Amino acid sequence: MIPEQLKKTLEARVAHAFSAREAAVDVMKDLQFHYGWLTDEAVGEAAEILGLSRLQVEELATFYEMIYRRPVGNKMIHICDSISCWNAGYEKILDHLKARLGVEVGGTTADGQFTLVPCCCMGRCGDGPLISIGSTIYDNLTPELVDQALELERLSGSAAPEHQGQA
Amino acid sequence: MPKLIIDNLPVEVAPGTTVLEAARSVGITIPHFCYHPALALASACRLCAVKMLDGPVKGIQMSCSLPAQDGMVVSTTDPEALKMRALVIEWLMINHPHDCPVCDEGGECLLQDFTIAGGHSRRRYQGDKRTHRNQYLGEHIYHEMNRCIQCYRCVRFYQDYAGGTDFGVTGSAGRVYFGRFEDGPLESPFSGNLVDICPTGVFTDKTGRFRARYWDYQFAPSVCQHCSVGCNLAPQVFQREVIKIVGRRNDQVNSWFICDRARFDKKGINDPSRPRAPRVDGEATDYEAALDALAARIYDFVEVHGPESLAFVGSSRLSLEGCLMLGELVANFDAASLSFYGDPAEAKGSQLATELLSGENVAAPADLASADCIVLLSVDLMNEGPMLAPFIRKAWLGGTKVYRIADPALLSGQQLPFDCIEAATLAEVPLEQASRAIVVCHATRTPREELSDVAATGARLAMLQPGPNGFGAALVAREHGARPFDELLAARKVRGIVAFESDLPVANLKGITVLGCADWQATELSQKAGVFLPTTTWMESTGTSINFEGRAQRFERAFRPGYPLKGLDAKYYAQSRYGEPAPGQPKTPPPQPPRIPRGEIPGGQEIEAWKAMARLLEKLGGELIVEPLTGSWQPLRDIDPEAGGERIFSLFKSSEPDTL
Ligand code: SF4
Ligand code: SF4
Ligand code: FES
Ligand code: FES
Repeated sequence: MIPEQLKKTLEARVAHAFSAREAAVDVMKDLQFHYGWLTDEAVGEAAEILGLSRLQVEELATFYEMIYRRPVGNKMIHICDSISCWNAGYEKILDHLKARLGVEVGGTTADGQFTLVPCCCMGRCGDGPLISIGSTIYDNLTPELVDQALELERLSGSAAPEHQGQA
Repeated sequence: MPKLIIDNLPVEVAPGTTVLEAARSVGITIPHFCYHPALALASACRLCAVKMLDGPVKGIQMSCSLPAQDGMVVSTTDPEALKMRALVIEWLMINHPHDCPVCDEGGECLLQDFTIAGGHSRRRYQGDKRTHRNQYLGEHIYHEMNRCIQCYRCVRFYQDYAGGTDFGVTGSAGRVYFGRFEDGPLESPFSGNLVDICPTGVFTDKTGRFRARYWDYQFAPSVCQHCSVGCNLAPQVFQREVIKIVGRRNDQVNSWFICDRARFDKKGINDPSRPRAPRVDGEATDYEAALDALAARIYDFVEVHGPESLAFVGSSRLSLEGCLMLGELVANFDAASLSFYGDPAEAKGSQLATELLSGENVAAPADLASADCIVLLSVDLMNEGPMLAPFIRKAWLGGTKVYRIADPALLSGQQLPFDCIEAATLAEVPLEQASRAIVVCHATRTPREELSDVAATGARLAMLQPGPNGFGAALVAREHGARPFDELLAARKVRGIVAFESDLPVANLKGITVLGCADWQATELSQKAGVFLPTTTWMESTGTSINFEGRAQRFERAFRPGYPLKGLDAKYYAQSRYGEPAPGQPKTPPPQPPRIPRGEIPGGQEIEAWKAMARLLEKLGGELIVEPLTGSWQPLRDIDPEAGGERIFSLFKSSEPDTL
């Protein structure tokens, strides 16, 4: 259950949108911020607020890379696996990340700090291979730079998933 | 009008026609998956490639989304286009399971056809295939997502065309998934069309899976007899069992689609306790003997009580041929009565529709799509004419306002796939401001005054009828002066009836002898009848029925009646609508027909109701009628069942319809 206040804010957001679907991403992100990920309950709440069916919310939720329909760690690591980064050798970086974090793609570290997922191009194709951790992009990566980045992010503590990807 | 050349053939088409449709108009089929004439463009599959040799665009193009233009020179057979299509097929087939032998779509599968046509026959891809989990979609449709080729036809139909909200597409890229939020029955009353519209075997008809292949089926063009819309469909019959029912195109009536009732409700036809044998006083006999007995009893009855105590009762379930023959039967007795309905409201309303409607003021279902104002006037749309709903939705999506004057007794709780503005009376609807307004109403419930109000505004009428051939029955009723049965009862003259496919409630028949009853259903009336004559269902008959807009449509016999060869699917025993079989009926049809050499089909004595009437008439001393469509009805003999039907108004030019 979301707090009444949040519900009111979101309803106001929808009321001001040209169509309910236009406000859908905002609603989903706020609910994700509230729950940590977009739970089934949250999908139901979003549906009610938007006047859509749960399936119609699910259609949008599963389309977007930064809406999470499963529990995730504190910070998301997105690694680009698209064509330029592949040319630049992203696979080495991925292997390194997997080894360092002790997770497979899609997994969350034992301490709940990071979740590792692939993504398809961050629009910085000349700087590959690259990853994003939370809202920060780390480019031209080598295994050493990955280690540094992870260290830095561990120290900077937790960021709620909602803030990720809003660079 | 753009003129172009396709494969050396000059083609001229209406502006806005696509190259794919232009090619189709001269008989060239360009392979396609996502293109469907009834749906919005998606250009999702990339299969429809052609090479543009000359004109405003050049090179490989997607023909389904390219408007035909002057000067285009198109090749569908250019090696480059062929190569492109073969490669597209190959990539669409990458994840497709090799399961045609265990897929119920096999044999009627667009993917099979175009894979072969596209020249892809050797798999080069050696990697893993992506797989999905299937969902439970209810008792009607089986889901097998691995077969999906992402053409988006299903979701464009389900959400856009039919207005369903519980099925759609989730995920993105290589993970797109077509299904529901969670397992559960599909909610749309049009869900069955997924089976027809998916070019692969993702959705198959659970009620008829793994019974037969396409080439095993007996087919015929038929017309739905569940309501007065008269959607075109085709039963797929195997060894005298209706396995599946599929939609058949009629642009004016149902586009390509049918509602779930039409598709999945086959129980009545396949019912194992369907009365198959003629009976006299409960004893099975042959048709000839039963007709003799009935004729003798009618003769005696009239001798004793006089013809004025005899009534012939039909219904709007009868074909037009049946209604006309019933008229002949009545005419054979001086003072006998004819009745098609019990309820005077149904009888009168239905007749009123035939009096008031003309080619000008009547609306076809498809006309609703381009209406600029629509009123639902005391109709239970999703029960009484569900296939009108998608057309109304189309207009509504385009900005047309839909008003509803609700009748509280009729609120079935079924959701409409469009929004309505509630109004209390017709006066609240700005009909005069519209130029293409249509009022959807029901003949039984719309008083004459209200209709005149509508007519005064120039709005057209879609006036639904109380039964599938209600319009036809009403025309005959008018011709022969039929009366509502309740009125006959009140006049206390009738003492005996002969009923043909009638649904009169027996409770009303105290003190009235049911001399004979002909039906394909085991109605209460048939249990009471002295002589029972089994008739064929519309799928086993050739005949004509007239839908609510006065469109005469011909249906053809798909199969000869009789026990199914292999016995019926066990589920039909379990769900028999009629409980205990009628006296003289076997408890269950034999699992195999008896192995006795004989000429006729076991359990196959049923004949069309009108033929039973014709033979009865002959036995009663009338002349044998072999063609009931005579006189002004004669032109209807030539109706092509596949040409969309014909409005009957021109047949009756002499008797001008009443002015409103
Ligand atoms: S399920 Fe069928 S209709 Fe839907 S996208 Fe897949 S192949 Fe096309
Ligand atoms: S709308 Fe009526 S005629 Fe059409 S398919 Fe459904 S029941 Fe049959
Ligand atoms: S390919 Fe990696 S950022 Fe574009
Ligand atoms: S039919 Fe043209 S892209 Fe699918």
